[in-house]
Amino acid sequence: MDTHRESVEVVDDAVVRSFARAALLAALIGAAAPVSIPLPFSPVPITLQVLFVFLAGLVLGPVWGPISILLYITAGAAGLPIFAEMRGGIGVLVGHTGGYLWGYLIAAGLIGLLVHRGTDLRDPAEEPLPVVVVALVAGTIVIYGLGAGYMAWLLELDAWEAFLAGVAPFIPGELLKMAAAIAIVKSGRIAPIQS
Amino acid sequence: MIEFRSVSYAFEDVPVLDELSLSIGDGEFVVLAGANGSGKTTLLRHCNGLLSPDEGTVLVDERPVEDDLVAARSSIGMVFQHPRDQFVAATIDADVAFGPENLGLERAEIDRRVDAALEAVNMTGRGDERIDSLSGGEQARVAIAGALAMKPTHLVLDEPFTGLDEPARRSVLSRLESLSARGTGVLLATHDLRDVLALADRVVAMRDGRVVLDDAPDRALEELGGLEVRVP
Amino acid sequence: MLSYEPDDTVVHRLDPRSKLAFQIGFAAAALAHATPRALIALTGLCAVVLAAARVPIRETLYAYRLAVAVLAFVPLVAAVTFGPPWIDVDDGIVSARASYRVFLILLVSAAYVRSTPVRHSRAAIQRTVPGKPGQILGVGVALVFRFFPVLQADLRTIREAMAARLGDERGPVERASTIAILGLTRTFERADRLALALQARCFAWNPTMPPLTFSRSDVPVLGLSGALVLAAFL
Repeated sequence: MDTHRESVEVVDDAVVRSFARAALLAALIGAAAPVSIPLPFSPVPITLQVLFVFLAGLVLGPVWGPISILLYITAGAAGLPIFAEMRGGIGVLVGHTGGYLWGYLIAAGLIGLLVHRGTDLRDPAEEPLPVVVVALVAGTIVIYGLGAGYMAWLLELDAWEAFLAGVAPFIPGELLKMAAAIAIVKSGRIAPIQS
Repeated sequence: MIEFRSVSYAFEDVPVLDELSLSIGDGEFVVLAGANGSGKTTLLRHCNGLLSPDEGTVLVDERPVEDDLVAARSSIGMVFQHPRDQFVAATIDADVAFGPENLGLERAEIDRRVDAALEAVNMTGRGDERIDSLSGGEQARVAIAGALAMKPTHLVLDEPFTGLDEPARRSVLSRLESLSARGTGVLLATHDLRDVLALADRVVAMRDGRVVLDDAPDRALEELGGLEVRVP
Repeated sequence: MLSYEPDDTVVHRLDPRSKLAFQIGFAAAALAHATPRALIALTGLCAVVLAAARVPIRETLYAYRLAVAVLAFVPLVAAVTFGPPWIDVDDGIVSARASYRVFLILLVSAAYVRSTPVRHSRAAIQRTVPGKPGQILGVGVALVFRFFPVLQADLRTIREAMAARLGDERGPVERASTIAILGLTRTFERADRLALALQARCFAWNPTMPPLTFSRSDVPVLGLSGALVLAAFL
């Protein structure tokens, strides 16, 4: 027994706490998938998921935020039905909505970087409002740029067609979600892990 | 052997443990009683280094806990409130294997330990079942099995009966009784002492971060009334 | 809903790493070639995979119904042009072929989902991705599978409680932020308790790896996967 114990490399306390939050937020992003409104004339439904993607960057920061999204994507690829419309599987990652999923990953990292500006987490409630707004707008542009861009490439659409099918229908919903994300962080009820 | 040597601990400047000393021998069944906020949970979390004392020392098998966290955490099997939030895998056997896997044991040894742990909580042959389909009492028993798979000398439980109905509570208690009979030490924190005193070798009661009573159950019973614990 | 179903098919017995390699090969080939000949060949291959994994076709199409509707709709969008002749049939056909290959990729991944339990996926991740990233991904994915139903139930409870308190009459921003705050608070409470349990059980960077071994039947699948990847570059 002692020979084993010597070599056990225990995960650091602060890392365990951040990891547990990242993994459970990934599950929450998946659980929010059915909380969505399908749109009859567009490929992508409005879901609460993007709100939690914003929060991954805002609350978990530039390292654990993207890890959380990566866990969400990987669990979906492994077959948990957590992508929009309860689908799962690797096919979704390269399918017509795949670009949005990769956009989530980059957006969470970008929002985390802009708001926390480093790996020591700040309390987003205390950040100036313009910083948070710029971060959310940048994140949204990344999600829709990648989402619609990939869709256009994959399905042989031109830019205008992709914009009509994959961006325009969601603009009102996205503005509402940004307002909700700001209201949440400014409420000060969700404190990040500060080490 | 778990030993607290005048341990003090404060949370946000409020003292929670106040020069507390206590020693628990191998194979002993100790009930830790006390009202909410008396410091029970904080005390337990010092046994395996989840919290570190501001002053004083905690020793497991005569070694300070922080000197060898892995040794302390495999000697002290810990079961928390809310068993539902303690599981790492969707099925029973994958979850129970988590502890021994972290110790880097051989797969054959891990399988042996999982079988033995499930047998000890009376769940032999149910390893493939999904944890979410189990009742609260069964989940509590799986959480105990997860701790036992580390082959601990002591099992430390923090309010394991919260939210359990009466049959479930009795099934957990009877497992603790048989584990204790096989020589595993038990440290059980609870504010609900029904049926528990009969199993205990000692009762330790806390108030305001201090031990205010440490005695055999029959003698402790009459003194417990003033300590806001539920007495049979 | 599409999920893992225990069975004894050839595909169920394959090593998950072979199945992942095959999906990557299939997707790469399909994305590289949308010619009629390539699509016929890929359709045949897809049919073999679905039959071998005993994927129920009707259920699967139902699970992917929204994707199917979209993939059928997109070529119409592509065909419509501004100005005469208003409909560009060639443009629509190109897009239709592109949509069809996505549909095939989705079906092949349905076979993986149907035939692979999460412990196999986790083992494949931990044995493929080295070191700490592999451990984070492997254990993390297991945790997402474990807590998904728990958090689903939490969200349901929150929404029911809000509806009971006439929450439906509030504006969408307030509703969304209330659900999110309550959901996130509860999720982080669970996460903090989980973190303690992970620590108490010696959560380590270098645990015993989950058991996983290639067998003889994996060889042709890996060969075929390699051939598909090569075909993507031809």
